[in-house]
Amino acid sequence: MNRFSIGCAALCGAVGLLTAAASAQEVKQETKSASGQAKVSPVTQQLLNAADKSATNFLLTNGNYAQTRFHPAKQIDRDNVKKLHVAWIFQTDVKESLETSPIVVDGVMYVTTSFSHVYALDAKTGVQLWHYNHKMGPITTYCCGPNNRGVQILGDLVYVATLDSKLVALNAKTGDVVWKSDIADPELGYSETMAPTVIKDKVLIGTNGGEYGIRGFVKAFDAKTGKLLWTFNTTPESSVGVWATKDATGRDMHRDIQAEKDQLAKTGDPYQKLGGGVWQNPSVDLATNRIYFVVGNPSPDLDGSNRPGDNLYTDSLVSLDLDTGKYACHFQYIAHDLWDLDAVSPTVLVDVKGKDGKTIPGVIHAGKTGHIYVHDRRDCSLIRFSEAMVPQENMWVLPTKEGARMLPGANGGVEWSPIATDPEQSLAYAINLHQPMNYFVENSPYPNGKLWLGGAFKAIPTEAQAGNITAVNYNTGKIKWQVKTPEPMIGGILATAGGLVFTGEGNGKFAAYNSSNGKELWNFRAGAGVNAPPSSYMVGGKQYIVVGAGGNTQVDFHRGNNIIAFSLD
Amino acid sequence: MVGKSKRAFVVAVGLGFGLNFYGSLPAAAQSIEDKTQVCAGCHGQDGKPIDKTIPVIWGQQQGYLYIQLRDFKRNDRKNEIMQPIVSSMERQDMMDIAEYFSNKPWPDLGQPRASKDVSDRALSANHSVGCTGCHLDHFQGDGTVPRLAGQSREYMAKTIADFRSRARGNNPGMTDLMLATSPDDLAALSEYLSGL
Repeated sequence: MNRFSIGCAALCGAVGLLTAAASAQEVKQETKSASGQAKVSPVTQQLLNAADKSATNFLLTNGNYAQTRFHPAKQIDRDNVKKLHVAWIFQTDVKESLETSPIVVDGVMYVTTSFSHVYALDAKTGVQLWHYNHKMGPITTYCCGPNNRGVQILGDLVYVATLDSKLVALNAKTGDVVWKSDIADPELGYSETMAPTVIKDKVLIGTNGGEYGIRGFVKAFDAKTGKLLWTFNTTPESSVGVWATKDATGRDMHRDIQAEKDQLAKTGDPYQKLGGGVWQNPSVDLATNRIYFVVGNPSPDLDGSNRPGDNLYTDSLVSLDLDTGKYACHFQYIAHDLWDLDAVSPTVLVDVKGKDGKTIPGVIHAGKTGHIYVHDRRDCSLIRFSEAMVPQENMWVLPTKEGARMLPGANGGVEWSPIATDPEQSLAYAINLHQPMNYFVENSPYPNGKLWLGGAFKAIPTEAQAGNITAVNYNTGKIKWQVKTPEPMIGGILATAGGLVFTGEGNGKFAAYNSSNGKELWNFRAGAGVNAPPSSYMVGGKQYIVVGAGGNTQVDFHRGNNIIAFSLD
Repeated sequence: MVGKSKRAFVVAVGLGFGLNFYGSLPAAAQSIEDKTQVCAGCHGQDGKPIDKTIPVIWGQQQGYLYIQLRDFKRNDRKNEIMQPIVSSMERQDMMDIAEYFSNKPWPDLGQPRASKDVSDRALSANHSVGCTGCHLDHFQGDGTVPRLAGQSREYMAKTIADFRSRARGNNPGMTDLMLATSPDDLAALSEYLSGL
């Protein structure tokens, strides 16, 4: 742990610079240090609703409420991207896993780091305007890195969710705390690493904790006061479902239904400790006032013996009414999951071809299984699923005490990384992991908020790992192009109207590809894993691409602390 | 003092303290130094434990220390020395004690750096099982996940064995992970981590 003396902290605080370098530990200093104000006008709901049309700003975690990650700016294109170079670098005080989606409004950029820090930067120069250093409680319980995937703004408030399971509203200009609300009890395994989604009067937030025997949820808080408005529990009191023996693609999952029914008779419905975290932003259909999100794995991940039934709504697409939080529809990808191949990559709302070839409102999700699933938005029904983007072997072999090998490994396929889409090309772009693993199962009782995996997943050291970037036509399910990468991919991808997709790798490479054919057109070596979703924006008529390069805890990529912006001249 | 007589002494101190946690002073009047005085008997006046199978607690993560005290009291984690000591602690006492020790500097136990072969084996095991996924880069821990870097090798080896046998039952997730890892890999990990 690095510590600076009180004297230095006071002096450094006075000039608005934090100088204590943190490695894995957070910097223990005052709550906030401000060197200036962020000159930003209040963000209206109309601006947010039209975010998909704004070439200037990047207003939501995944670009817009539909979460297309398609940015309309076209100044940087396939012909000139080879001239892209670094415009500025900002080095945060936190050298740890970096998963943030930079948000940009009026030339002000908001980024977050591990341990729930928030920075406001000048988007033209990278100069720090203010820094919120969240006073973390002593109890934090999280499985996969002390991450934070970003903020959202509405009005003059910036909203962030923290590792110790709080929701915080900050003054967008100064970083002062306006209100803080408790989301759930960290001692029971709840924490936050996701960005909130803010719409009208509500801040929507899910939860971590599927590895700890929580009862998952999506909550809505009042955007002005922080008061809890509604809670949707992702594990309903009747969670057993229809006793599905096949997954969404029709493959047999080798369930022993009778044994499960016997268990149910003995121990009752397991919904209370069933897991079902929600790791990523919901998409919002403004026309119908409905939200769409995906639900994570049941607890414990690998051992199903104490949780009979389909374990609804784990591993499912779920849609709710935005105002009331009431259930609208769902579709379960894997009933009674024993492999942690849960649904985490955020949903995207695009028009798709239905089964009869007619265009209908659709919702798509890229799975850890390696398929992209395409649904009818009205009733959540499955229209088609894509070709597998990663090798699949021995699918649904049951985990054993000695370990059973299956592909994909437990991280996927597509992990929490958001996909991008290009509606003109009907293409979805996903980044995938290929990690051969053995799945082990062990039985243990509910451990009161401790890690509860029900076994272990182990990467097989003698088998090579890899990754890929895959473009899938969501109207046909066919893979259009695929670029293989030397390491598993985790972070995110951005598509632009300039005909490009941008994504980074754990070895530090950040590259631009032709979105139609996958040809690599430019790359940069960042020096730490580029494992965060890129954003784009414009200031003073100039387009920038920005991305975090800080590595990743879950896949153990080289750590750093950089936010890097690129431009053409 | 060696072996059993030392243990008997410590148990006696522990029992005495546990039964009279508040001594002759009301709880509110006890300073944190008073509350933590008994800890030095085993965990060391300078943070270096008197026995290699006793863990370093100086500089340990606050959330983790609190959870262990809580689990000793709940009988989720069994230890005949710790249990009497925590028996009359309330939640706030545990929080205060955890905070106190978390702010101390981690002592250097003088354990040697592991050889390249052992380090390579340990890091390969880490890559496979994913220890740093929770224990974080450089095994510093955070919140309720403990720091492993520089912990006593004997204590870690004993803890791993206790997780495997479920003698330590307060983290089934850790039990599962230790059972899924080979004893040779685990020995390399203890050696590697202690030398950090």
